[in-house]
Amino acid sequence: MDILSGVLIVAGSALAMIGGIGAVRFGDLYSRMHAAAKAPTLGLVLVSIGAAIAIDTLLAYTTLLLVVILQLLSSPVGAHALSRASRRQTPVALDGPDDLSRDEDRAASRHAEPSD
Amino acid sequence: MTTFALVLLAIGAAGFLFRLLRGPSLSDRVVGLDGLQSIVVIAIIVAAARSDSGITIETVLVAVLVGFVGTTALSRFIERRGN
Repeated sequence: MDILSGVLIVAGSALAMIGGIGAVRFGDLYSRMHAAAKAPTLGLVLVSIGAAIAIDTLLAYTTLLLVVILQLLSSPVGAHALSRASRRQTPVALDGPDDLSRDEDRAASRHAEPSD
Repeated sequence: MTTFALVLLAIGAAGFLFRLLRGPSLSDRVVGLDGLQSIVVIAIIVAAARSDSGITIETVLVAVLVGFVGTTALSRFIERRGN
């Protein structure tokens, strides 16, 4: 049991370290966001399981379960809000048609027509 | 075992701190701050497992919520202000 919790804690910490390395080495904003948002979240889940096994109290189980649920809910929302907010400011190379800009322009023109 | 985990977390925190200090845009700095917050949360959990009493485990909840509110507020700020 002790070995299992230690392995889980070290694996989760290694995932968080990989996220940090990716935030340094990736080339553009969205790649860095990909590394910084996903890897530490899985690392947090693994570390929480390992720590819950190691501490082994009811308080630790409930608190860490709540922490994992909150992080799994809040991390994608935060990354989505950040990427949407920085879309206009930091242009990146597209690999296809820009559907969101097209929809926004169409909505803007449709919104402008009745006022004329 | 937990000492080695804390060393790994320190390396990851150095990476996010690098991105926080010299991200070209404000969004890169927010990415660094968000990752640094995740690292701090993981480090508090590892420290609680290391201390064996686990009495500091409740502070993790506050850290997670503050990090989410900070990232979202900064995104709204970037969306309004730009750069």
